[in-house]
Amino acid sequence: MSGLLALWCAAVALACAVLAVTRPVIVHALIWLVAALLSLAACFFALGASFAGAVQVLIYAGAIVAVFVFVVMSVDTSAEARGRERERLATGWRRPAAAVILVAVPLVAGLGVGGPALVAPQGTAQGSLGALLFGPWALAIEVASGLLLAALMGARHLGRRGAGE
Amino acid sequence: MNAATLSILLLLSAGLFATGFFGLLARRAILFQLISLELMLAGPALGFIAGGAYHGGQTGQAMFVLILILAAAEVALGLALYLALRRVADVEDADTITRLRH
Amino acid sequence: MLSPYLLLLLVPSPPLAAFLMLGLDPFFLRRRAVQVLALLGGVAPFFVMLPLAAVCFGGECHGVVPVFTLAFGQSEVALALLLDPMSTLVGLTVAAVGAMVITYAIDYMSDAGVADLRRFFALMNLFLAAMLTMVLAGDTITFFFGWELMGLCSFFLIAYNTGLPQAVAAGRKAFIITRFADAFLLAGLLLLFLEANSVRLDVLIPAGATMTEDRHLVIALLLLAGALGKSAQVPFHTWLPSAMAGPTPVSALLHSATMVAAGAFMLARFSPIVMSEPLVQAIAAAFGVGTAAFGALSAIFQTDVKRLLAYSSISQIGFMVLAVGLGAPEVAIGHFVVHAMFKSLLFLAAGDITHGSDLGTSMKAMRGAARRRPVAYVAYVAGAASLAGVPFITAGWWSKEAVLSAAWNTGPFGIAIWALAFLTAICTAVYAFRPVLEALLPEPEHRSRAPHGHPLALNLHHRARIGSGFITVPLVVLATGSMLGGVMVAPIISFLGAEVPHAPHLPALLAAMAPFAGLIGAAALTFVPSLAAAVEGAHDMRRPTRLDHKFQIWVIEPYIRLIRWLSRDRRPRDADLDFERQVRLIRWLSRGARMDGVYQALVVRPFVNLVRWLSGHRGGGVDPVGSAPVALALRLTQAVVGPLAHDRFDRFWMRSANRLVRIWVMARAIQTGRSRDYALGLALGTAALLVIAWGTTWN
Repeated sequence: MSGLLALWCAAVALACAVLAVTRPVIVHALIWLVAALLSLAACFFALGASFAGAVQVLIYAGAIVAVFVFVVMSVDTSAEARGRERERLATGWRRPAAAVILVAVPLVAGLGVGGPALVAPQGTAQGSLGALLFGPWALAIEVASGLLLAALMGARHLGRRGAGE
Repeated sequence: MNAATLSILLLLSAGLFATGFFGLLARRAILFQLISLELMLAGPALGFIAGGAYHGGQTGQAMFVLILILAAAEVALGLALYLALRRVADVEDADTITRLRH
Repeated sequence: MLSPYLLLLLVPSPPLAAFLMLGLDPFFLRRRAVQVLALLGGVAPFFVMLPLAAVCFGGECHGVVPVFTLAFGQSEVALALLLDPMSTLVGLTVAAVGAMVITYAIDYMSDAGVADLRRFFALMNLFLAAMLTMVLAGDTITFFFGWELMGLCSFFLIAYNTGLPQAVAAGRKAFIITRFADAFLLAGLLLLFLEANSVRLDVLIPAGATMTEDRHLVIALLLLAGALGKSAQVPFHTWLPSAMAGPTPVSALLHSATMVAAGAFMLARFSPIVMSEPLVQAIAAAFGVGTAAFGALSAIFQTDVKRLLAYSSISQIGFMVLAVGLGAPEVAIGHFVVHAMFKSLLFLAAGDITHGSDLGTSMKAMRGAARRRPVAYVAYVAGAASLAGVPFITAGWWSKEAVLSAAWNTGPFGIAIWALAFLTAICTAVYAFRPVLEALLPEPEHRSRAPHGHPLALNLHHRARIGSGFITVPLVVLATGSMLGGVMVAPIISFLGAEVPHAPHLPALLAAMAPFAGLIGAAALTFVPSLAAAVEGAHDMRRPTRLDHKFQIWVIEPYIRLIRWLSRDRRPRDADLDFERQVRLIRWLSRGARMDGVYQALVVRPFVNLVRWLSGHRGGGVDPVGSAPVALALRLTQAVVGPLAHDRFDRFWMRSANRLVRIWVMARAIQTGRSRDYALGLALGTAALLVIAWGTTWN
């Protein structure tokens, strides 16, 4: 049952994603992005990954999209800009689509062929996430935090007014 | 969850990645490309969570956390770059930024 | 719960932390603060390694510290650090030599500006951290990471004097040539991963040793090529002598215990894979002994101390590769340890003696050293004696004797190798003692700038000592190690689980005579004026290889004469121009036959041009890569259809030439500068990789 729910949610997420990348208006695209991320969160809950689901709602659909919204407020949304976006998309979708198919076919084919045989599922999750993250993976988390710090510093530097202008 | 569900979930995650990728290639406005990048990261995240749920370990969620951090850093830098470009050159079309070539 | 092996994480951390603070910290640091940080970062790994080594020598010597583990299906990606006898020994050596060199550099570099000082010590510390990471790596990813990081740092350090074009060029050359060889290593490691489904060395190496024949051969060859490139073995040797453009501490660190020795260490590390393949073993032995002989022979004719030591490094690492090729990686590690000590000692002592001399680092700058810098001179003598292998009292003798005995014991093929290695040992003694004896000569009367001197050292540094202890202590410690380290060779080899090879008395006796024969040779070359003048004048021997000279004499000159004769005979008049052109072409070819030139032409120049061309560089002359096919086609058109004038063939050829131009323009257009196009390129590459992966592994 939960498996079916997860599949349904993931399918909805995919549909929302397709809509998100094809909308000509940025606000609409953003709303579809939120929808896709929220359905993914539901999918995570259905798969039993409640922490990931919660974090997905809070950070992805919450914080990250909020940042987007701040930026989107300053974007030109006139009918003219909308028309330009639509025209750009209408004329230039074939080559990207071909490239995506080129990548997706071997990827999906590889999935279909299977690779190493799947081992049997081992039931419910064992061990706690925190113990994994701050035990054996502590170094990876440290590196990731370094990345965040670097991004923070970079964003601050780029956002500074009057620098290099 | 059985192996068939896992396979379909993995297919869907590949689909999410491919959709985002299509958006990245097809859209010219930087903001749309950033949205597409978010979707590209969401695809593998779904794959990791599905795999983790199937194998019953916490590794999938742990990788999800790492992906999340990556996405946060990417958005922060991407939006900052976008704003800087808007301010300096009033650019919102990614194709017009080619000066780094020289 | 806490195992003592967790200390392993602390070994590369202090230099890394020092790098971060010196290199990335935006705050101003005072000179003293920079020096203290650099010293702490450089010396700390040694003191962390000591208790680890004590644990290891105490018997418990197999510790793995997992850093990050990710299992998927049957494969796993596991980053880890590994403590086993080999990594303990090499790590301890590297940490000790690194500590000594950085201590020495505190004084040596004390006259540089603060910004330069920060850059220098940041890179030195990063370099040390990279080498330690590589040595202690428990998986191929960490191993390769350290390996590449080291290559990058060596580029920056060799090109430290950014104001000098030749320093930058030397750095670029080292970078490109080692990168060229690293590609082989990367390919080998990736194939090994596919084979073993794991990157952990303790899984990977046994799995690699038992795989099927054909893949095994390919992988072993790839690994060998990677090692030869990093270790500056023939045919990749050309970058090392030019790398002497860096400051002396850089040379001492790069060319004794780290960088170039990394290749030998890698071969020893992967020796179960290399050794189970007789062909690769034979190739390794041949390249090793060939390089040893070539390096020693070239070193004799150098007039610059640092270049002499550079060729000596090439030669000594040849001995290590030879030992691995002979199936005795333990002996190679023993020689590695000893070589690290005496070679860094030689560099440091020579640097101290010639520092600030008007003559740069040329051999003449050594004169009068015994009076000027007695401590450094005695240290240099100790290092040279160890390099030459004076029996019993020097460490170099024990390890070299082990290599020679291993060669002798390998059978008839081995005796030939032994003979060559023996001759090499004599040459080694000759070049080792030449600077020592040169130093006994009186100082030149009026010092003027020598034309041959190393321009880098010319007046760039003037002595500004902060305390002679920084120079003396490393010299004394390393000199002691180079002399008394001999008692450690046998324990090292048995600690690694092998026995010290023993040769019969006759070859052992002969080998013991080699240094004395070399001493006589060196004395003859120094004190007999005609011979000294001959060495001075032997410019040809100082070229990157001697082969091309022979090539010139035996092949090219007769050919030129033949053409001259033919052209005189047949077409007496207007052949002259034609003939001149041919002569020029042949001359050019003969110059190109030099390895250095070949590399410049085959690897470095095309690479630089490719980058320039791809980036749409429009300055200066035409770009040769893009225009070469066009020019070729045009030339072909003229040559073939010129006589036929305007007929169909002509038009056909002209059209093909024009088409080439169009292809060229299209190829140029790939580089648009638009991020979407690059994403498309990434996509196509990913697709190709997926197809390859699907075809090769997912079956």
